[in-house]
Formats: sequence, structure tokens, C-alpha cells
Amino acid sequence: MSVVLPIARPRPGTLTALGLFVAILVVGTIVSSGFASASNLRQLVVFASFVGIAAIGQTFIIVAGGLDLSVPWVFAFGGIQLSMLTNDGMPGIAALILVVALGALIGAVNGFGVTWLKVAPIVMTLAVGGLVQAYLLAVGLLKSQGNSAPQIAQSLATSRWGQVPVAGVIWIVLAIAAAGLLQRSTVGRDIYASGASDVVAYLSGVNVRRTRLLTYVVGGAASAFAGIMLSGYLGSTYVDIGSPYLFSSIAAVVVGGASILGGSGTYWGTFFGALTLTALSAVLPLFHLSDAQLKIAYGLVILGGVWVSTAGSATVGRLRRRQRRHASD
Amino acid sequence: MTATTPTISPDTIATGRRSQRIPLGWEMLTTAGIFLALAVVDLVLQPGLADLFQIGLLLQVALPAVLIASAQTLVALIRGIDLSVGGMFVVTNALTATWANHALGGGWTALAVVLLVGAGLGLVNGLLVTVLRLQPFIATLGTWTIFNGIALTILKTDGGAPSTALLNASLTEPLGIPLPIVMLVALLGAWRLLRGSRFGTQMIAVGSDEERARLNGTSVRMIKAVVYSLAGLLCAVAGIYAVGVTSTGTPTGGDAYILTSVAAVVIGGTSLAGGKGGIGLTVMAALSLTIISDIVAAMNLGAWVAVAASSGLLLVVVVLRSVVELMSQRRTV
Repeated sequence: MSVVLPIARPRPGTLTALGLFVAILVVGTIVSSGFASASNLRQLVVFASFVGIAAIGQTFIIVAGGLDLSVPWVFAFGGIQLSMLTNDGMPGIAALILVVALGALIGAVNGFGVTWLKVAPIVMTLAVGGLVQAYLLAVGLLKSQGNSAPQIAQSLATSRWGQVPVAGVIWIVLAIAAAGLLQRSTVGRDIYASGASDVVAYLSGVNVRRTRLLTYVVGGAASAFAGIMLSGYLGSTYVDIGSPYLFSSIAAVVVGGASILGGSGTYWGTFFGALTLTALSAVLPLFHLSDAQLKIAYGLVILGGVWVSTAGSATVGRLRRRQRRHASD
Repeated sequence: MTATTPTISPDTIATGRRSQRIPLGWEMLTTAGIFLALAVVDLVLQPGLADLFQIGLLLQVALPAVLIASAQTLVALIRGIDLSVGGMFVVTNALTATWANHALGGGWTALAVVLLVGAGLGLVNGLLVTVLRLQPFIATLGTWTIFNGIALTILKTDGGAPSTALLNASLTEPLGIPLPIVMLVALLGAWRLLRGSRFGTQMIAVGSDEERARLNGTSVRMIKAVVYSLAGLLCAVAGIYAVGVTSTGTPTGGDAYILTSVAAVVIGGTSLAGGKGGIGLTVMAALSLTIISDIVAAMNLGAWVAVAASSGLLLVVVVLRSVVELMSQRRTV
């Protein structure tokens, strides 16, 4: 059965994010000729992969009409729990799989609260995030010795195949899987339907609860995995490691053109959103802008990106309607 | 053809919203119950706390969080959310610690300007929401980081030199009552006046059902813009007061208030879906969170216990509320 989905077309939001990313690369190259060099781009992709992977879950959740505020703590949980397990002698691969599964379990708790108990997503994920934070603070007291990231995390995040960084490859593989699931599968269609209108989706036979629960499970697993990658990149873990990622995981989704109300957005949009935000923080120092001005620029890009993509969607919609009217005349 | 048409009573439509199921009086009782229970535990642990001066000290620390949570409450009442409360706090905080100590004579005029700046930042949010029609979450996600950047431009690291007039004023005890207690009473009084006014009614109307409020002749955009500005004003009061009691400015200290303000609003019982709740509820909830930290400190427990207890309280409150609502729905269906 082949179903042609309207969502398979590139959306204005995805194009806006892609355009912003290319524009930043061009500006960067004009200002400093080495900006688009292979080593610089590699660095950029690796650093964007942490936001990008965490934002896989955030994209699914937001498209299905939810929101995840527990990202920073599940993120930190990934790195810390992995280093605890490997310190206790568990083999790296097994520990990695177990930690990602535990992340998925935390996501399932979020999803259970949101779908079965009908707690507002903001509130449920805030509370669960707080409990994870408390757990991390508690185990931090028990294990005061240095939390260096285990070998497996370090090799995932820093090793290379020739010129190609492994982290970038992992991200792209996950991105293709996420975009495929979201845009070309029945599960993905259910996710869009649940986010667009849960009542209509329910009446159309979509299992809204199960669909939304699934998005939170993906979110927990993605955050935990992204946290493992970042801890490997930095070589150490700490409780506040994920703090910037609450903002940036949502910002990447939003710059990528998803509506915070659910029902629209693509993972490729988020993908380029993550690249845009990361490239922005790489290009602004070339203009001798401080950290403070970087924060201001971040905010302007978010507001501008959202405004352009919503205005863009409205214009495209208007043009399509006009086309249709002409066609029917 | 004259078959009776099914009538939909206005009542069914009005009560269609889930948030209306638990009456406000119940929220008031449960929140007050939580607050009193925690206060009693704290008093048993530290009998010395039953003293106006000691309560004043406790409130000194808690007041900025209470004010910021109150700002969040106003925005929640019109069905919005403000992630930039921490940003408005740090901008006004940094201004107070630097510019306001010398500009315009370094006195109250300068602080009044800082208050206006806070209201102005809130107005920016309001305009993004009403004129550009951005979602409140997105608009304030953007201004959150913009305001943080502005604060860091004004003041690079913790520090600054607040005026001595402000430092002295923060420690005054009008009629023997510590200033934070007076400010708290003033906050609650101002809220009662606001809620009882025509504006308060319109605010609740906008939060309950924007379209009906508009049809009833309420200027929805105006109300929203004013509410976001008032939120900015409250954050500015918090920013100025925090400089007064800590005698330094903190350009990075705002982020911690964002999520706790949402938690206080929700624990108190103000609905994030708009139209139900109030600052009184939020004040009790924010103070409950302060008392939890105080109890944990008094018992010499680790910081993680306070985090676990406040998140646990949030979780228990919202889950119980949801279960009660789900059960009452089942009964009425």
C-alpha cells in the first residue's frame, strides 16, 4: 500500500533552517577563509550531533503535541549512569544498551503521566526531571571519585574513520531512521495526527495514548544517548552537563519549523536547526562578539526563524489556494 | 420536520474544559493545608522560627522566587507561559547593581526607571504574542536568551556596587515589621485589588475563553499586553530586591527561577490552561517550597533531598488532582 502523504514534501520550515545554515556558512567563509574547512566542519557536525540527537526525541514529542522539559537531567543521567556501571565492571556495550533502555524507561514514566494520568506535559516532565536530578545528586554524594567518561563513550564521540567523524555518522544514521519513521511510516502518520488533533485522531482509529507514550520513550532514549556522547566528547560527566540542552533541544525543533502546538514539523528541519544554532555559535566569535551577544543573536534567530517559517507557511498556503482556485476555474 | 432539535445547554459548553472540574475553593484548601503542614513541621524542628524577625529572614531569601512565581501566575491566568521571567529578573538586577547606583542621582528615580524597564521587557513579550502572534512559549523562549544576553552585557560577572540607600532600605522594618513581610502583604493586597477590578475580570475572561471575551467586547490584545508587562514589573521588583538583600548583582542567576516559578504556579493550583487560580495560591506554594528547603537544611540532609521533595510534591499534587478529575469525569459521564 502506498500512501502519498502531504508531509513528504519539503516544508517551508525545513527550507528556512537549511537556508539559515547555508547563509551562516557563507558569511563565515567570507569573514574567515578557513571557516568551511574540513576540520572546522567536522568539529561543527560533531558538536551539533549532541543537540541533534537529543532533539530527535523533542521533535517526536512536540510533533505529537507534547513537550519534554526533562531533557537536561536525562541527558546528564546518560553520562553519569554509564560511567558508574562501567566503573563497577560492566562491559561497555552492555552498559550502554542498559543506560539507553533506562533513559527510555524514564521517558515512559513521562509518557505514562501525560497520557494515562492526563497531567500537562510541561508539568509531568518538569517533575520527573526534578526526580532524576535528585537521583543524580544523591549518587554523586555516594561516588565522589572522578566521573571520567568510559572508553566506549569516548570512542563513540571522538574517533574517526579517515576524515569522517563517527559521531557525525551515528547522527546521520539516526536522523535517517527518525525522519523515515516520522514521515514514511504509519507510526509517523499517527504522531502527526495525534499532534494535529487528538480527538480527530482518536475518532479516526489512532491509538493516541500509545502513540504519545512512544514519543516520550524515544525522547528518553535519545536524551540518554546524546548525554553519553557528550560525556565521551568532554571526557567527564557532571550533574549540570545537560543544562544548555533544555533550551537548545527545543530551539533546534522550533528553528526547524515545527509548531509548538503539535501536528507539524520534520526531523530534517530539526537537523538543520541544530546545525544552524551550532554554526551560529561558531561564526559569531569571528565578529568578536561576546558570549552575551551570542545569547542575544540566538534569541533573534529563534524569533526570526519562527516568524519567517510561520509567515512562509502562510504564504505557501495562500499560493496553493490561489493555484487551486485557478485550476478549478 | 418539526422534530425537536437537540438542545445544547450553555452549561455543557461552559463546563467542557477539564480545568474547571475541581472548584477553586478546594485548591485553596489543599494548598493551604500543604503550606500549614510544612510550616508546622518546620516550627517543631526549629521552635525559634516563631518570631517575626526569623520569618523575615526566611522571606528575605524566598521573596524573589515568590514575586517571580506571581509573575508567572498572571501570565498563566491568560493561558500564556513566560520563560523569560528569569531574563527580566537578571536585566533589572544587573541594572540595579550598576546603572541605578549613580544615574539620575542614584536614588529612587533610577529605581523607578528600572521598574519601567522591567515592564517594558514584559511589554516586548506581550507585543510578540499579540502583534506578531507568536506562541507565548516560543516568543519567551527567544526573549529568555536575549534578556540573559542583555544582562551579561550590562554586568559581566556577579558583582556591581548597589547604592547604600537601597541596601539600607532593604533592611528597614516599617512599624517593626521586616520589609519582606510588608512586601508580601502588599503583593497579596495588590492582587486582591487587581482581581476585584474590571481589569481582573477581563483577565480571567481572556484566560477562560479568548473568543468569548472578544465577543463580549474585551480588548484581548490589550489585556494580554498589559498582563505580560505586569509580569515584567513583578520580575523587576524581584530583581531590585535581590540586589538589596544580597548587595550584589547576578547576571546569570535567573535561569533557576524559570522552572521553579512554573512548579509553584502548578502546585498552588493555578491552571496553566488559563482562567483559574490566583497569586494567593502561588504565594502559599512558593513558600511551601522554601519551607521544604529550610526543613532539609535544618535536618542537615543533602541538597538532593530538597530537590527530590519539591519535585515529589509537584508530582504527587498533579497526579492526585488528575486522578480526582478523571474519577469525577467518570461519575458525571
